[in-house]
Amino acid sequence: MSELLVVIQIAGRRCALSAHDVKSVIELGAVTPVPRTPDFIAGIAALRSQTLTVIDCRRALGLPAAEGPTDDRAAVVASGGHAYALMVDAIEDITTAAGEPGQVPGGFGPEWSRIATGMIETMTGPALLIDLAALIAGPDGQRGEIEAAA
Amino acid sequence: MDDLLAEFIAETREMLEASGGEIVAWEADPTDRARIDTIFRFVHTVKGNCGFFDFPRLAKLSHAAEDALADCRAGRREADAALVTAVLAIIDRIAAMVDAIEAGEEFPEGGDEALVAALDVSRETLPEDEPGQVKAGSNPPLHAPADTLLEQTGDSIAPARRAEAAAAQRTIRLPVELLDRVMSGVSDMVLARNDLAHRLRQAGNQPTIDGPFERLTAILTDVRDAITRMRMQRIETLFGVLPRLVRDLSAELGKQVMVDCDGGDVELDREMIETIRDPLTHLIRNAIDHGIEPPSARLAQGKREIGLLAIAARQSGNTIAIVISDDGRGLDEEKIAAKAIATGLITAAERAHMSRDKLLNLIFEPGFSTAETVSNVSGRGVGLDVVRQNLERVGGSIKVTSQPGRGTQFALQIPLTLSIIAGLTVETGGQRFAIPQSYVEEIVQASPAALEFTRMGEAALVTFRGNRIPCLMLAEVLALGEEADAARELTLVLLRLASGDLFALVVDRIHSHGDLVVKPLAPAVMKSGLYAGSTLLDDGQPVLLLDVTSIAAQHDLVSDGRARVLQPLEDETAATADAAPRAMLFTDCGGRRSAVRLELVQRIETTTTAALDRSGGQVRAVIDGVILPLVGLGDTPPPEGKLRLLRLGDGACELLHAVREVEDAVELTGALVAVPEDPLVEALTLVEGQPVALIDAHALFARHGAAPEPLGKRPRCVLPESEWARSILAPLVKAAGYEIVAEADPEAREAVTIMSEDTFEAAEALGRVPAGPVIRLRDHPEERRGAKSIYRYDREALIAALAAARTAGDPRP
Repeated sequence: MSELLVVIQIAGRRCALSAHDVKSVIELGAVTPVPRTPDFIAGIAALRSQTLTVIDCRRALGLPAAEGPTDDRAAVVASGGHAYALMVDAIEDITTAAGEPGQVPGGFGPEWSRIATGMIETMTGPALLIDLAALIAGPDGQRGEIEAAA
Repeated sequence: MDDLLAEFIAETREMLEASGGEIVAWEADPTDRARIDTIFRFVHTVKGNCGFFDFPRLAKLSHAAEDALADCRAGRREADAALVTAVLAIIDRIAAMVDAIEAGEEFPEGGDEALVAALDVSRETLPEDEPGQVKAGSNPPLHAPADTLLEQTGDSIAPARRAEAAAAQRTIRLPVELLDRVMSGVSDMVLARNDLAHRLRQAGNQPTIDGPFERLTAILTDVRDAITRMRMQRIETLFGVLPRLVRDLSAELGKQVMVDCDGGDVELDREMIETIRDPLTHLIRNAIDHGIEPPSARLAQGKREIGLLAIAARQSGNTIAIVISDDGRGLDEEKIAAKAIATGLITAAERAHMSRDKLLNLIFEPGFSTAETVSNVSGRGVGLDVVRQNLERVGGSIKVTSQPGRGTQFALQIPLTLSIIAGLTVETGGQRFAIPQSYVEEIVQASPAALEFTRMGEAALVTFRGNRIPCLMLAEVLALGEEADAARELTLVLLRLASGDLFALVVDRIHSHGDLVVKPLAPAVMKSGLYAGSTLLDDGQPVLLLDVTSIAAQHDLVSDGRARVLQPLEDETAATADAAPRAMLFTDCGGRRSAVRLELVQRIETTTTAALDRSGGQVRAVIDGVILPLVGLGDTPPPEGKLRLLRLGDGACELLHAVREVEDAVELTGALVAVPEDPLVEALTLVEGQPVALIDAHALFARHGAAPEPLGKRPRCVLPESEWARSILAPLVKAAGYEIVAEADPEAREAVTIMSEDTFEAAEALGRVPAGPVIRLRDHPEERRGAKSIYRYDREALIAALAAARTAGDPRP
């Protein structure tokens, strides 16, 4: 499998997104905050005539917000018919997958396991392959689903 | 009515074009059932539509063709070439007649009978030779047989006229998806333009670029307007036919019903209007048939004889809410329950635990109908289940609430795939939000004391126009912190929900309003229940659109059952207050577009600059012999000649407002934005997208208002006894605001006297100089011996003297 991957950094960890999901990488301009929404939603931003929902990936993992400066670029992804901009530590490179995603003994830790499909070997080293829908659902996403099912 | 007619013409023509291919195919094989069906449907529809209009000839023709085709369909008759020819001739005639109707011309009399007879002839004798009239050997073209018949009836000009009329109004149908693409393309272009504008501003003035850029801006605005209009249609087009429908239905059922439509300016997709047409009609039929009682029953219950049916539309982000309420007998809970149990929808045990609301909504279940006798009007086997199905198919929903004996409300929610709404942009906590204009009833800016702003526990109330209105602080709703400063002026946006409830939203500032393209939000954001969508402002900044209904519901401000019909008596007075204020639109002398409330405008007057007087900084003018203060002239002296004036009155005082041009009376539907900087301007508003300053009448009258001087108080003038004075001098003096009195009149003592130089000298010599001011006239242009006299044809000097004399003799300060 030689799927193209976009390598990003979230909270200092190397992660990978399927290049198929990433529509573009933009310079993130002004972000309009959205009051009374979960804190992983940093706000909304405009991309041409489109509205992007800006996701703070650290917070979407349930981690504290970044203290240092993050990349001023954001990856634009589409999920469920809506466009999102992912605020990450850094957008590193585009690379090719060198194998299937797999698990590691002991897991990635609860926060990471929730949003990861598995570890994937790439041409530039191993990375955590991100499950986009789970990331966008936010830290309370799963709990919400359980509540909805109950 | 014109709209209906245009629709009829467009529909008929569309069907004609669509059936063109069918006709060709039918001609090739007259026994083809599918073709016969298509053409039968066409003539049937034409016949049906003709019923609405007074087109007896069209009705007769289509009826004849329909009969013949119905016979074929029923197998009573064989379709053959002769029948095809006859029917085609009729279809062509219908097309020609529709063209004539559109052009507003009289269609030439006669010929119809021959066409109708051709149908019968072909039936009775089956004349095999008739197609032979077509030129032998030619492959018979589509309209050849029909034309032959037309020629026989002496009407060969019809096709020519048809071509002409078709050129007048050409339409094409486009897939909506294509329009969407064009639309988002234009939106992107606007944003690119704004970005460019920003960069140009930074780069400084560049005349060579600025000109073309301005042009680009203007073109873009035009294009955007046009695109916007392409998809949208006012719901008015749907509401327009309702009064007639209600009238006919209530007459048929022996009831008296008044219909009240509100929110007709809500725009939605043309497609969506078509989708809700039938459900809406059905609900109205239902309300009149089953809901509203006969007049006698109403009177017995202490209700007004006339039932009220209210239909209100509101837009909220991507949904439109339509509420249809009647003040009839309401839904019978027990009857519905019994019926539902009888039809097996629910069990008796389930019934015991069902809330009234849930039970009532069973009426939308398939196979449910409570009417004991199926009436001609609403019981045609199409139940409310079909209404719900139709709405759900487009992603809408319907709910019913009802109070026994008091009325029923059907609330429809219809989505808009893509919507452009008029929105108001407000600011709170340093952030901007948009509110759909359709909810905005009024914008109020006043001190908390004036609004009697009170905190009752967690809730807040304001008093406005004598009503206590629940009040929400947007900053609190959105948890933006920032405690409101108690002393600061409050900016309130009064919002009216589709259910009729009114509440106030406190914001920090009102920004602007304009058309907003609403984009959907991600589910995680929608979950908060506060936002209906997002939109981009002209500077490219995204702004959240507030979901007013949902916010109100979260704060328990929506009372399901409390629709407007429940207060019919209060409503009557409220209705007049609710109507959009009307104003007279004009361009003032400074070129600014302004408006003044229409109630104040008494008349539009035209006067000449001669009737103006500037004394003591206050300009006055004389209209109909009354001196009134004149405002609005500005600093520049008016050009000589005619002057247009608005005569304003508050009942007691009158004043004049000079205008450059009177435009029109308009409805002030836009929001009124207060302008505290200009004391003479009540508010800024938008009329057809242009800013208009609404004159603050109160400030105007407080500053300049004067009770009109009654006729008797006009300054008087005594004229010399001569034909010249009576016929030439008198009109001028009158125009200057004087009343002519005779010398013997006792009132003449204080009057200005105009006399010739010679007479004055004589009077002086005799010691009988009049007490009042005197204007001396001389017969020659040259002044004599330095005497203070005016040449009798020196108009300016004369008017000036009259004006001066009036100021001197003015009894008022």
